Amino acid sequence: MSDQPPLETRVVEAAAAQEPIERSAAARSADHAAIAGSIDELLPALIAKLGATGLAELEIREDALRVRLRRPPEGAVPHDRRAGDRARGDRARGAAPSGGGSHGPGLTPVGPGRDGRDGREARGGDGRDHARPDQVRDVATSPAVGIYHPRAEAHAGSRVRSGDRLGSVDVLGVPQEVVAPRDGLIGASLVEPGDAVEYGQELVVIEFASAATEGAAAAGPPPAADH
Amino acid sequence: MFRKILIANRGEIALRILRACRVLGAEAVVAYSEADRESLAVQLADEAICIGPADAKRSYLSAAAMISAALITGCDAIHPGYGFLSEDESFAEVVAAHGMTFIGPPGAVLERFASKSSTRQLLAAHGLPTIPGSDGMLRDEMHALSEAERIGYPVLIKPSAGGGGKGMRMVRTPRELESVLRVCRSEAKAAFGDDSLYLEKWLDENRHVEIQVVVDRYGHGVHLGERDCSVQRRHQKIIEEAPTPALSEAARTELAELAVAAVVAAGYENVGTLEFLVDAEGRFYFIEINCRIQVEHPVTEMLTGIDMVATQIRIAAGEPLGFSQPDVTFSGHAIEFRINAEDPAHDFRPGAGIVERYHAPGGPGVRVDSHLYSGYDVPPYYDSLLGKVIVWGPDRASAIARSRVALDELVIDGLTTNVSIHQAMLLNETFLEGRMTTNLLDRVGSAAFLAAAARS
Repeated sequence: MSDQPPLETRVVEAAAAQEPIERSAAARSADHAAIAGSIDELLPALIAKLGATGLAELEIREDALRVRLRRPPEGAVPHDRRAGDRARGDRARGAAPSGGGSHGPGLTPVGPGRDGRDGREARGGDGRDHARPDQVRDVATSPAVGIYHPRAEAHAGSRVRSGDRLGSVDVLGVPQEVVAPRDGLIGASLVEPGDAVEYGQELVVIEFASAATEGAAAAGPPPAADH
Repeated sequence: MFRKILIANRGEIALRILRACRVLGAEAVVAYSEADRESLAVQLADEAICIGPADAKRSYLSAAAMISAALITGCDAIHPGYGFLSEDESFAEVVAAHGMTFIGPPGAVLERFASKSSTRQLLAAHGLPTIPGSDGMLRDEMHALSEAERIGYPVLIKPSAGGGGKGMRMVRTPRELESVLRVCRSEAKAAFGDDSLYLEKWLDENRHVEIQVVVDRYGHGVHLGERDCSVQRRHQKIIEEAPTPALSEAARTELAELAVAAVVAAGYENVGTLEFLVDAEGRFYFIEINCRIQVEHPVTEMLTGIDMVATQIRIAAGEPLGFSQPDVTFSGHAIEFRINAEDPAHDFRPGAGIVERYHAPGGPGVRVDSHLYSGYDVPPYYDSLLGKVIVWGPDRASAIARSRVALDELVIDGLTTNVSIHQAMLLNETFLEGRMTTNLLDRVGSAAFLAAAARS
């Protein structure tokens, strides 16, 4: 692992909420293309900027587009970390002496599962993107501790929208929905159907393609998942 | 014995339970919230599982999350520690319904002792003197006023479902009672989801003395002596010691024997603590029973040499106690200091943040139960207990001398703690003479204690 923890990149909000909801498909895909274009320009610069500073988080707003980059604390599951962050002003967690990376390998929390498989290994160890700036991905995480059941329709390569159901985690017979964190294509599954998963565990990769394919795909077939 | 135990708690007690599991040769799984990912119990565990977000309602207080975590990790028992789900009889029942064992009293026993007022009636019937109180729950304001009149002011308003001093108010006049009754109800509702209140006679100068009992499934029970928890701040214990300086050895033995006989007769099981108020004349009144391991259990462990958490687990597994009252011997004197992330200079405001440097004291008779380490980031979501310094000496004076050395040696940089209050207490004449009463710290004010210590 490099000295700096990997950057987590996510488009938090990329819609002009004030605009009428009823818009043509063409207008929507134009928006998507514009957003994708901005991201293409912005992200490499932002990532470089954040990497050069000791900052933990950087947010840029430009018209309706808002991009937030956050450097997750090492060893944390990035997607849910925000809930655990505290509004405590200027504390730069990355620079804190509590870096999880300083613990020996024997001190790593172990994930669930009867097979004793390490939770982190189960996530592939590379659950985060490896920083090709035009190729971004996100991961759907577990909403609860229980048994994971993917939806049959949600197979790799399917197109999903943010909030689409990818499967569920069964908690004492009560299913808790696993949803796509963003629009994109379903990528690799990081766990098997029927696996025991813990809260916040990374389950399914969502690839969101480079700007070129995003623009093209937006005009393509409708999403596979229902709404 | 259990094969694998889920530890359904956090902080120092999660670590304490982990150690007991290892001693017993049982595997342990630490259940943790997202805010406790870097906790020491998680790091030292053989296995750990994230059960939910920082919000305790969705993690440490979620029966479904805990049971699901225990099932998928293949546990056959759950240890709830103290607080959180530890005295929740419906949780204990659901654990059992899923084929696992709740480490504590069985659900039916917890249910029998769940209501404080009916527990007082039950144990009074088995010979325990109880403090004068209202006849059951307060129905309305009129009922409250007439009951207070009958008992005699001052009275203490207590929530039936409460614990740890939360939601309690002492009132001296009918007018005061009228004005706080509604507040107490809404506080009780918010804190415990139950707004039932009752009244109790308030003893101005009283000591808090509690008896530790252990009863196995076969009705064989012993007491492990008492603990004096009279050093309190707003009904929260901060220092506990044993033996109590308030009672003679004969009086202590009498109280302890009465207590264990009553709970055995009432069908109690597992470890438990009976709390008593002792007035200036040495009369004692039963207040309530705690059906769990307590924060201050190490005081008793230091005196008796009995591993109480291991004993608790063995009893839950159905093992007989394995020893009798004559086997329990008490040696020396022990004092426990609760180290909290609180600022005594600012009304004990709780704090959180990174422990920049941590050093635990050592030496003869010194034990530290803490989950701190240098670099640990104390999350702000849970209670402020950072650990406990427990000091044993052959007598009270030597325990106090060792305590001063131990507290001076303790280093917790980066956080404000209440250690200065403990240090002040160890210079305070009333404490040194063993005459602390539960209201003294609040009446005199902690600032006065700190200032007096600074002068000496």
